[in-house]
Amino acid sequence: MFFPKEMSEVELIIPSKDIVAVAKVLSGHGVFHQVDSTYLGLESLGPSVWQDKAATYSALERRIQTIMQTLGVAEEYPTKADAESMVELDALTPAVNRIDEEVKGISEQLSTEKKRLELFESQLRQLEPIADVKVEVGALNKSSYLHSILGVVPASNISRLKTSIGRVPHVFFTLREDSQKPVVWVLGPKSNADVLDRAAKSAYLNPLSLPEEFAGTPEQITSTLKREIDATKKKIVNLETSILALADKHKTELQKLLWDAHVSRVMADAIVRFGQLRHTYVVVGWVPTASLENLTTKLKNTSKEVLIETHTPSRNDHNSNIPVALNENKWLRPFKELLTTYGRPSYGEFDPTILLAISFPLLYGAMFGDIGQGLVMMLAGYLAHNRIALKALQSIGLLFVYCGISVTFFGVMYGSIFGFEGHYVHDYLGFDLHPVWLSPIHGENILSVLRVAIDVGIIILFLSYLLSFFNNIRVKDWSHLLFGHTGVVAFLFFVCFLSLLGGFLGSTPIAPQVALTISQLPLPFNILTPIFALGLMFNGLFRNIAEGHKPYIEGGIAMFLVQSFMDLFEGVISMLSNTLSFVRVGAFAVAHGGLSLAIFALAGEEADLGFWITIALGNIFIIGFEGLIVYIQTMRLHYYEILGKFFHGGGMRFEPLKLKPSQEEA
Amino acid sequence: MASGISGYAAISSRVRAMYSDLLTPQDMTRLSESPDFASLLSALKATPYGKYLTGLKDNELTPRRVILQIKNRLADSFSSVVQQAPEQTRPLVKQLYRYFEVGNLKAVLRSIQTVSSWNTESSSWERVNEVLFPYGSFSSIPAQAMVESGNVGSAVELLKGTPYESTMSFAMKRFSAEQNLFPIEVALDLDYWRRLWAEAKKLSGKDREMAVKIIGSLLDMNNLMWVIRYKIYHKLSEEELINYTLPFGFRVRDEDVRAIAAGSDIADVVSRIYPTVADVGALLETPQSGLPKLEQQLKRQVVKQCMAAFIGDPFHIGIPLAYLLLSDFEIQDLIVLIEAKSSNVADEEYRPLLLKTSLVQ
Repeated sequence: MFFPKEMSEVELIIPSKDIVAVAKVLSGHGVFHQVDSTYLGLESLGPSVWQDKAATYSALERRIQTIMQTLGVAEEYPTKADAESMVELDALTPAVNRIDEEVKGISEQLSTEKKRLELFESQLRQLEPIADVKVEVGALNKSSYLHSILGVVPASNISRLKTSIGRVPHVFFTLREDSQKPVVWVLGPKSNADVLDRAAKSAYLNPLSLPEEFAGTPEQITSTLKREIDATKKKIVNLETSILALADKHKTELQKLLWDAHVSRVMADAIVRFGQLRHTYVVVGWVPTASLENLTTKLKNTSKEVLIETHTPSRNDHNSNIPVALNENKWLRPFKELLTTYGRPSYGEFDPTILLAISFPLLYGAMFGDIGQGLVMMLAGYLAHNRIALKALQSIGLLFVYCGISVTFFGVMYGSIFGFEGHYVHDYLGFDLHPVWLSPIHGENILSVLRVAIDVGIIILFLSYLLSFFNNIRVKDWSHLLFGHTGVVAFLFFVCFLSLLGGFLGSTPIAPQVALTISQLPLPFNILTPIFALGLMFNGLFRNIAEGHKPYIEGGIAMFLVQSFMDLFEGVISMLSNTLSFVRVGAFAVAHGGLSLAIFALAGEEADLGFWITIALGNIFIIGFEGLIVYIQTMRLHYYEILGKFFHGGGMRFEPLKLKPSQEEA
Repeated sequence: MASGISGYAAISSRVRAMYSDLLTPQDMTRLSESPDFASLLSALKATPYGKYLTGLKDNELTPRRVILQIKNRLADSFSSVVQQAPEQTRPLVKQLYRYFEVGNLKAVLRSIQTVSSWNTESSSWERVNEVLFPYGSFSSIPAQAMVESGNVGSAVELLKGTPYESTMSFAMKRFSAEQNLFPIEVALDLDYWRRLWAEAKKLSGKDREMAVKIIGSLLDMNNLMWVIRYKIYHKLSEEELINYTLPFGFRVRDEDVRAIAAGSDIADVVSRIYPTVADVGALLETPQSGLPKLEQQLKRQVVKQCMAAFIGDPFHIGIPLAYLLLSDFEIQDLIVLIEAKSSNVADEEYRPLLLKTSLVQ
């Protein structure tokens, strides 16, 4: 729950005779993440025969797909898993050849006829704009003084073409307006023929290509073309009927052939990445430890001589090459999505999904506390999640529900329902509602809310630092544990910084209690602060030394000192801003009350229809607008202030071998 | 305002987090001080690019493979931004990303043209795939089938139903006549930038303002470099120059492009548009070495626009766009470094080409 699924490395030595059966088991269960192990094989054996087989299966699969596309047969795969086995090429190829031959003849004829039809129709279209010109088309090119170009040009090039011939005398006609292929006619003096030709060519103007057999005026050519088009269309209808008949005849066989070729190709692809020894193959991959026993049992049942070695690495090492399979919990999915938008945990890293599941609704609710609005959010989330309404929000429906629960809880704490607070609840709704904790908008409560928000922020930051320590200890990254930007030295300086802050703010109402408490600890902060400040200032240098590198001082001592001082300065500023960043939690709780008051000011005092309409619209506005802003703020706090402190991400996705394409895509 | 905030809630936080992960000029200086490719690689592993290099065995870490791996970071950034961008801006981001698909398409076509000169240790597709941008599931071109088709005509046939179909249908007539990929590549470029500009112009308010500034600056750089290169290297005529360039942009106007096409002094035109770019005349005197430097200076103008996007109101598409461009420039710098270190190029030769370090000089 707190870490990605435990993974085990599996190394198999398989006798050559069992290779296909083993590949079937590995591909068929969706739990084996294969690692390319060709480098473990013997190079002297030369390229694997499976490489050619995989390429041939792949070509065969594509060929069958092409035939199916030609026949309009849908690509469907069987639902039962028992049809998963590799089929020899000799068994597949003759059947594919036979059907292909049968289909090819007709489809090639069909293709030729369609091309002819396309050509005739295109020529007909090209002639339409000049249909009433009573001259022979060929005669246009026989003029002694005029140079004429008649052709089709990309619509987007027309304006540029006109510009490009602007410097020579010319006449430009757009004979047919068309968004794709307009027909244009450019005429100019013969002496400028070279300019006109270059311009036409560079504007991709394709001159009309009327077949020589169609001589005469445009009207005569049109009539001939129409006759040809009718005859070609009849041929096409006959050929399409033949194709449909072939589709009916071969549909089932083609679907089976496709499945056989697909399964064989997937298995062959997998085998290509096995390491080939003289009489055996080596296979390496990763399996979730929970599925390991089941997989090994199946492997042993499949091949009596298979050697299986498994190794479950410690999470505490550097594990960048271990694929990461996150735990699937449908109730935590929205938080997992929030997390993976930021990054995927690496194998040994703490998976903070559960932390997000607690802190996200908590911070959201604290900024937006209202019983009525919380219940509306829960309802909207429920409807969206179950696709009853608001279907577009289905993916975040559950998040709405969780945030709605938290908003309702804080509504009880703040004593607010649909913006009604204090005596307004009694006056307009007819019952009493008192805040269990306090109402953020009233008098001295404002400062208390802001102070508590900073305190909560400091506690969350402490937790983030501790999680950073935890992650660094797990991967034994001692240099970052001590001198990283969220390392022990930085943390201790943060504690010193809080003691200074507590001392500075003293008994003012905004002073955070945690900072005050720290400042009152019997510790020599006046000595510790400069020590840890120096630690923070030179943490890059110390980190280098701790990692066993030579100290790297860039640009001379003076420049290094200036840079180090600026690092410290930036550290202090970011600690201050990180701490104060949580003020927004309180500030939004106050602003929420303020916005409700503004709605009441607009609604007036008389509880008539206008009053209730204003209140209803106001609540919709608050839920939509403020709800969204609070969402952004909550996300920002998590991405910048919380996850940024301890979460590194960069984990490799777990991609197991699977047979069905739909599963692979998923 | 409300829709701006709602649309940019997640993406704004995410992009700023990713932005903070970009290398600093100091990081880049440190990387460039690596004595050789192996040291550069180990230094690179300690940066956010490290996770894209783990899992590869030492013998796989060739310069070409490393370049491919680090490009995955940009692909991830684009993928993340495309998914989280507000709906109305998504077509623009997708079109911006298509730049790499257009690059892949050109590479595929070039490979088909030159495939016969390769040795046959590995199949053509494997060789081609090594240099393609890892565009992933966004790709609309059947790259492998195109390479395997064996000739440009058949490969282009496979583009039916893709956004390139119409452009290619016109350009293929030129290719068939000239047997040269130049007209195809120019047509693809023009179409790409026209679509990108149209997507930017479709936006409204602050989104449009920022998109026009950032995309327009990038377009300016390309348009200006096209017209200069076509003029100097290809010696194209005025009408060809006009047809092979675009009449819009942020600072570069159609009149500027036409002036260069008509024979005006290029240095004068460039200096008028970018008064801060120094010594344009001197750079143009030796185009072989001067043009890359000029392009570098123009890139800096784009970077300035990108940096400016991070100041002020954060709820607009400018920030994601700026981040993506900066990320791309950073990878271009790294590619220069990797190629320089693996070929033992002298420091003084490649350092001026590093955008990130030159920004702090």
